[in-house]
Amino acid sequence: MITFKLNGKKVQGEEGQYILQVAEKHGVDIPTLCHHKALDPAGMCRICTVELFDGRRTRFVTACNYPIWEGMEVKTDTDVVHEGRKLIVEMLYARCPEVPLLKKLAKTYNIESPRFKPEGDDCILCGLCTRICKKMGNSAITLTGRGLELNIDTPFNVQSDICMACGACASLCPTGHITLDRVNNLFTRQKNVRTIPSEYEMGLKGRKPVYVPYAQAVPNTPAIDRDVCVHFKTGGCKVCAEFCGVDAIDYAMQDEIVELEVGSIILAPGFEPFDPSKFDAYNYANHPNVITSMEMERVLSASGPTEGHLVRLSDHKEPKKIAWFQCVGSRDLNRCDNSYCSSVCCMYAIKEAVIAKEHAGDDLECTIFYMDMRTHGKDFERFYNSAQEKGVRFVRSRVHTIDPVPGSDDLAVRYVTESGELQNETFDQVVLSVGLQTNPETVALAEKLGIELTEGNFCKTEIFEPVETSQKGIYVCGAFQGPKDIPQSVIDASAAAASAGAALSSARNTRTLVPEVIPETNVFGERPRIGVFVCRCGINIAGVVDVPAVRDYAATLPYVEYFSDNLYSCAQDTQETMTQIIKQKNLNRVVVAACTPKTHEPLFQETLINAGLNKYLFEMCNIRNQDSWVHKNNPELATEKAKDLVRMAVSKVALMQPLEEAELQVNQTAMVIGGGIAGMSAASTLAQQGYETHIVEKSDALGGQALNLFKTISGDDVQEKLSHLIADIDQNENIHIHLNTELKNVEGFVGSFKATLAADGEENELEHGVAVVATGASALKPEEYHYGDDPRILTSLELDRKFMDKDPSLKAMNSAVFIQCVGSREPDRPYCSRVCCTHAIDNALELKKINPEMSVYILYRDIRTYGEREYLYREAREHGIIFIRYSLENKPVVNLDDGDITIMVTDHVLGRPLEIVADLVTLASAVVPNKNEALARFFKVPLNDDGFFVEKHAKLGPSEFATDGVFLCGLAHYPKPIDESVVQGRAAASRAVTLLARETIHTSGTIAETVPINCSSCEVCISICPYSAPSFIEEGPFAGKAQINPVLCKGCGLCVASCRSGAIKLKGFDNDQIFAQIFAMNEAV
Amino acid sequence: MSEWEPKIVSFLCNWCSYGAADLAGVSRMEYPPNIRVIRIPCAGRMSPKFALAALREGADGVWVSG
Repeated sequence: MITFKLNGKKVQGEEGQYILQVAEKHGVDIPTLCHHKALDPAGMCRICTVELFDGRRTRFVTACNYPIWEGMEVKTDTDVVHEGRKLIVEMLYARCPEVPLLKKLAKTYNIESPRFKPEGDDCILCGLCTRICKKMGNSAITLTGRGLELNIDTPFNVQSDICMACGACASLCPTGHITLDRVNNLFTRQKNVRTIPSEYEMGLKGRKPVYVPYAQAVPNTPAIDRDVCVHFKTGGCKVCAEFCGVDAIDYAMQDEIVELEVGSIILAPGFEPFDPSKFDAYNYANHPNVITSMEMERVLSASGPTEGHLVRLSDHKEPKKIAWFQCVGSRDLNRCDNSYCSSVCCMYAIKEAVIAKEHAGDDLECTIFYMDMRTHGKDFERFYNSAQEKGVRFVRSRVHTIDPVPGSDDLAVRYVTESGELQNETFDQVVLSVGLQTNPETVALAEKLGIELTEGNFCKTEIFEPVETSQKGIYVCGAFQGPKDIPQSVIDASAAAASAGAALSSARNTRTLVPEVIPETNVFGERPRIGVFVCRCGINIAGVVDVPAVRDYAATLPYVEYFSDNLYSCAQDTQETMTQIIKQKNLNRVVVAACTPKTHEPLFQETLINAGLNKYLFEMCNIRNQDSWVHKNNPELATEKAKDLVRMAVSKVALMQPLEEAELQVNQTAMVIGGGIAGMSAASTLAQQGYETHIVEKSDALGGQALNLFKTISGDDVQEKLSHLIADIDQNENIHIHLNTELKNVEGFVGSFKATLAADGEENELEHGVAVVATGASALKPEEYHYGDDPRILTSLELDRKFMDKDPSLKAMNSAVFIQCVGSREPDRPYCSRVCCTHAIDNALELKKINPEMSVYILYRDIRTYGEREYLYREAREHGIIFIRYSLENKPVVNLDDGDITIMVTDHVLGRPLEIVADLVTLASAVVPNKNEALARFFKVPLNDDGFFVEKHAKLGPSEFATDGVFLCGLAHYPKPIDESVVQGRAAASRAVTLLARETIHTSGTIAETVPINCSSCEVCISICPYSAPSFIEEGPFAGKAQINPVLCKGCGLCVASCRSGAIKLKGFDNDQIFAQIFAMNEAV
Repeated sequence: MSEWEPKIVSFLCNWCSYGAADLAGVSRMEYPPNIRVIRIPCAGRMSPKFALAALREGADGVWVSG
């Protein structure tokens, strides 16, 4: 350590450091133009000149490259120093009068116009560019000449190929003399110098060669992109390694091949968005204002390249008119090979349009050009309706061409309306709703694994085995199984996990490592002995916050027995040291001032457990994410804030008590309510995993709605498949079937439910740990189109029955009409029944098979053959089935006259009424849930307005309820075809197994607890709790007072805040603890 | 008056706003260092007593977010 005086104050620095480095550390500002911490100092600009007294005389030296020595005295702020600096600035300003940086400096030194002759240059010869170029390992440019001839140039002023256009010079140039454009023009001729496009931002923003792919990446550590990193090209640079505080950079690291021994494989390779560059007519590749929907997602995102500010890319102006084009790269055999529907684009386009209007205001005009609006998902139709109400315009037209409007950045769109008129309209921006397709690498992988693909290059699966590939032991989920949205992918994923796990259930827990349990020290009644660990997080915290000062401040706080600072508190070795210190110093409370408890609290709690302390005797304070990172230009106040936060944490932790996590046995039995396809799939999955399962079915047979279905879209006989499935269930000794049984009551909670089953006048109790709700739905009995007045007017299921019965009358029919959306997508039932379009088309094709001469008409509103079901639609058109669209306002009319059925409908192409004489009318009646309010009450689970159960989370928790231990699948969730019911049945079972497999559940320690003696029995807590945790004590001295079930309590504190008697405590966040924090902040700011 | 700086106490829900404040740091956004964050398990935990206590202790503003 070297001690010297800086502006009269004693400071210390390490041997070999320069004055500038030490001054920086002590917050003394010395201006410099030629210094960069990644480079060796050069003393080029001289503006960092300071006054040095060596004991005998005063000299002037450049702070950037003058090494410190013992006893020297440096002054940075004297009049002479400022005079000198002013002269240097004046000369530089004269040389480069137009450079903003120097204009600013001149202003600081009150120089209005330099006394020297202005030269109009823009290079100050600081040499940063030449030094960084050398550091990069290239030396393509250098300082040439001497004195007045000094210049930045290539050696001998000769064009060289050494420059690899890395752009390092441009990134350091302080004056703008070197720009990427200049590098392009002068040095590299053919090379295209541009920022590295960020993959996550869809190329709308640049990224560095060292980068974290995106903020939520797991693991959240940076990677080096070897393809663009200069070091891997020249061997130079190594700046990242020099700056890394923990030597984490290893340039020699190689890709490794790791062999894993596994019993099952799950493929989840996802999709790639379709690249519309090859559609010349859309000008996507050439026009910045034609973007893809994925790019639009980034533009709308608050963390995106424009921070959620809606601007178009050409001029960064706010667009006033945006158009979305649907089916770009989907349902198209003409311009690409993707004839399937991508399933998700209609919904995401509506979402983007609505969000765009939210961001930009109501006067933004959003228009969606589409072929069929496919909002077949749960609550999607409602969203579509509300988008229309919000002013999003929907135009049924497939647009062929986008033409740039000459002389502007706008786009001209020419389209044909439904009535056949040609329209021209100008938009500020066009978003192409690109479809989903399988990546060629995935296709290659499938080939390597010997997996069969479909026509659309998706993984081929069977309707009754939707997550099994053609290779045994290999499973599939997500968009590789078929284009699908988030909830369906999540359902798939759970199902694939269950299927993959079922095959391995005998091996469960055979490779589990059991950690050593360290006995917990009893600290009850002990005086708090607090240890405070302040983390530097490399320079992340210490670069802004004065960590030693915070550490020393902690030492002055009450009950603090130990204090220290760590370079990285989360490092393995630090954790071990902390464990030792806690033991040695006999600490009984710990505060870690570091990053955020959201990510690191569990890690430090583990440290406490390892040291024999209860993990709740801990408090973290956030001096990185909420301090050093957000106040980097205010180190003093950031340090003060850190001290305040430490003080608040210390006062809170002193009041923390050891908390218990109750252990609860999970009853290893499952109850499945409903014996349809979904319920049976759930039951068989649970049984395969080794759990005893009871199916409760109210009717006299298993099978549910599937008993009414003829065949699947891939041609399987549903009844045959169903009988196999039922036989498997019957024979499975883990499954108990309760037919003709009603569920009378359910009591209890996760892990220990008790159900009352009623059958044949007898009531039995069934104890179970988890429940799966698979109560199904049924077909609406239509009340329109003369249903019931003539045997030739049927529902889809009744037509299936005719097929199953091989009804000979079908062959004799000459004309059949299908009417879609009977009871669906109506004001009373504003949802799409999802299955009917495909079902009708499949049945229409079946009729054509029976009698190819038959005229078959399908009257529809939108055809919703999503995913690869689209092929059926194509096939139907190829077979001459006639599709006539009608609107809700102008529905078809069925007339019964003299034994003839005639149907009046307005043809959407001709615009004229048509009369069809039909021998058969099939009504696609809506799927209506069995609105089971009693069941909803038993399990405290919600129903939506339509009568379907409401899942935990529409996207991420589709097969479970917010109530722990209760799961959901099948038609009770939303209308769905067989494959999706099978997959959701398995998904529900899969989620249930995650609970069953644990055998015991630990409740959280931070939960609410009543003090019954203070309770006034007002019932507010019982009515307010979203988790039904509070109830009245039924017997004993406190009967009638509230108690809280620790298993159900999520620790939100709602009851605590609303208890008018102060009778509820929230452990870990109790009043006294929060008040302690409030009282401790009174020295704040 | 120009040098006066308010003291603000913020009660942030662990699940949303506290996470958002973390994300502001991850994104290296900057804001004035006048706030002191108290993490609560849910905005439902917020009691008027906390706001009153904070004001009584000298806070110029109380911000509850959840």
